[in-house]
Amino acid sequence: MEAFKQKFVEEATEQINELEQALVQLDQNQDDMATIESIFRVMHSLKGGSAMFGFEKIDKFTHILENIYDRVRNKELKVSKDILDLTFEAVDHLRSLLNETPENETTLEVNNNKFIERIENALNEKQAPEHTSLHDEPVEGKTKTYFIRFVPNEDIMKNGTNPLFLLEDLAELGTILIAPILNNIPDFDKLDPTKTYTSWNIILSTNAGINSIIDVFIFVDDEAKIETHKISEYNLLGDSAIKNILKDSLKQKPEIKPAEIQELIIDLEGVFQEKEKKEAASDSIKKIDHSISSIRVSSDKLDNLINWVSELVTIQAQLTLYAKENTYEGLNPIAEEIEKISRRLRDDVFSIRLIPIANMVTRFQRLVRELSNDLGKEVDFITKGTETELDKNIIEMLVDPVMHIIRNSLDHGIENSKEERIKKGKAPKGSITMNSFYSGTFVYIQIIDDGKGLDPEAIRKKAIEKEIISADTELTENEIYDLVFTSGFSTAKQVTKLSGRGVGMDVVKQKIAELRGEVEISSELGIGTTVTIKLPLTLSIIDGLLVRIADTKFVIPLSAVQKIYEFTHQEIEETINNLFLADEQRVPFIYLRDVLKIEGEPPKIERIVNVEYQDSFMGLTVDEIIGEYQAVLKPLGRMFSDVDIISGATILGDGTVALVIDPNRIINEFATKDNIGG
Amino acid sequence: MDENQKKQTSTMETFLSFKLGKEVFAASANNVVNILELKPITKVPHAPEYMSGVINLRGQVLPVIDMRIKFGMSPIEPTVDTCIIVLNINIEKEEVKLGILVDAVSEVLELEDNQIEPSPTIGTKYKAEFIRGMFKKDESFIMLLNLDLIFTKDELVLVEETTTKANVATEEEK
Repeated sequence: MEAFKQKFVEEATEQINELEQALVQLDQNQDDMATIESIFRVMHSLKGGSAMFGFEKIDKFTHILENIYDRVRNKELKVSKDILDLTFEAVDHLRSLLNETPENETTLEVNNNKFIERIENALNEKQAPEHTSLHDEPVEGKTKTYFIRFVPNEDIMKNGTNPLFLLEDLAELGTILIAPILNNIPDFDKLDPTKTYTSWNIILSTNAGINSIIDVFIFVDDEAKIETHKISEYNLLGDSAIKNILKDSLKQKPEIKPAEIQELIIDLEGVFQEKEKKEAASDSIKKIDHSISSIRVSSDKLDNLINWVSELVTIQAQLTLYAKENTYEGLNPIAEEIEKISRRLRDDVFSIRLIPIANMVTRFQRLVRELSNDLGKEVDFITKGTETELDKNIIEMLVDPVMHIIRNSLDHGIENSKEERIKKGKAPKGSITMNSFYSGTFVYIQIIDDGKGLDPEAIRKKAIEKEIISADTELTENEIYDLVFTSGFSTAKQVTKLSGRGVGMDVVKQKIAELRGEVEISSELGIGTTVTIKLPLTLSIIDGLLVRIADTKFVIPLSAVQKIYEFTHQEIEETINNLFLADEQRVPFIYLRDVLKIEGEPPKIERIVNVEYQDSFMGLTVDEIIGEYQAVLKPLGRMFSDVDIISGATILGDGTVALVIDPNRIINEFATKDNIGG
Repeated sequence: MDENQKKQTSTMETFLSFKLGKEVFAASANNVVNILELKPITKVPHAPEYMSGVINLRGQVLPVIDMRIKFGMSPIEPTVDTCIIVLNINIEKEEVKLGILVDAVSEVLELEDNQIEPSPTIGTKYKAEFIRGMFKKDESFIMLLNLDLIFTKDELVLVEETTTKANVATEEEK
């Protein structure tokens, strides 16, 4: 049972996340029925699951929560900010309920009952004023088409009834086609303006039901002749062709009988029957899809699978090599086929663990929504590159640090008032952007705010005050920003409810370091602050360029490679300022043999691999280009933790190991500042 | 083998002994995964000198350490006897696999507790904390290594600060 419970908690956690995501959507578009439906569905399945596994509090709570959305769904209740706030809070409450332990059980029970009471109160409040409208609201059903002939008595206007208003009321029920019958209008000199001579033929497609139509005319029953007939089970006016046919026939024959219309359209209805069948069919397909769209697998199994696939890929590379060296008939095609299959297998398996960053964005959107409310700041949260994929475990561990960074940006970064921003010539509304992208074998996540920016002098002073640095320490700007990550440093003048929870940026740095990542701040006073998180793709396979320097083989990530040039060693030796000519452009290069401290005689002809670096290019020299290689990236392990210019290793077809180099790191480390350019 | 009585009260442990230069060391067999012939090692740029590089161990990337450098000797010069011993050790509660490059593997020793002598605090050039004990065999000593510690400590070599002096001294004696 415990195992099942665990499973439920896992599943429920995901459902609650889903719920939260849907709520954020609903917040942006409060009339979106599809979202409301999915919110209701999630609540419903939460309720079902919790009851089954003995989570009584959740059961009780979701039951009442579900009621709200059931009523929203039935249009008895309108989505409002209050309801959304309440539900957002409920999401947090649900999370806490999931973590029930014998110790906190009583507190939770009390909280739960309080919350339920609050929802009930909220519901009752809402109920009172909306109650009257309840009955008028149509019960949603299938859209059908009716024919109405409305012949008002001549004196109808004397009672203060304007027949046109009735037509307007009718029009509100659905799609309408109105054809006036003008035959009875007398000549102008005989016309009495207080009298009504016109009557109407009306075709109405509505899902409101015949009673709603009768209700429209309820007060003019005695003053008009009203005929109402259902002419079709379908939404005839939804089809423009049929609508035109009906329009013409009403025009030509004002005294048309309902039966005649029905005859007219009987053939046309075939279109709808067909369509309906199709919809039914696709519905059932959708349902089947839904039931198999995902299965749960433990991460251990995935890890095993990945290990096996990695070995398979290595063995396959050996096979390919063997097939090339030995000419057995038929061996080559088989080796090629296996190569193709294992490549696809590997891609698929590796992608299993990767999920898009979009998965954690909901939580941030919500954080910004709530925090900007609390702080009274207007802030836009913009996300870019949320399709960037990362290992699921990394994403999970990343949520907290990123939350903290966003919280800081909102609390300390964005100016306190619109006026302050306008004075500085900024848009009144602040913005926080979360930008994610790949670069080489890394994923970058940036949190960019357009707020006050960091004041290096203030940080310096503070650090001296807190005795983190001594007064005479000389620091570069970047080193000063880095002080923010020192433990015991907090730039907030006073501890606020939001930012000062005892954890500071030092914890952020530590958490990210645990993921083998790095975090960096850059800022411009008065313009904004950018926090950049850099993460390795642990489980990545990279398309690389396999090169050789002396006896060592290296892989350069292909995504960075722009072009390859060939030079003699002499030409390279004679270059001035380490600049080479790449298609008539002077590009700086790094002589890898030197910086990697590889001994031996360089060959007569060397190659320069031109790689992209930030916005420009940089050449890297190698002895020989071997070719493209799909590398399964393996970590070098903790024994090499100090070697950061190498991002990993990969095993080649002949069983030897090639090193995957990180061009960005090499350039950062070995290029002199004025060397980088292009 | 007249120590049957003692056998009952003491526990037995198996060691694998290997040579570095003229000296003999031993590692607990519990740590040993297997022994490999020397194969091409990919050197990793910018790594400490004692890190020979990495090799492929059935699809895994295995770091290889030159134990001679680690013990303050000159780097290993490959011969037919040169081997890589694959070890499983614990570094800060994490299981790590690594290979050590040795001049030769000698033999498997089955030792009882009481056969292991405490390492002398003076007289050896190696820091005491890395040596678990000594075993006397045919007039020479085999040093039993404390593997978990050797690789945890981020030290370049495991030789005492005074080594150079000691070396100089021994050389002078010669």
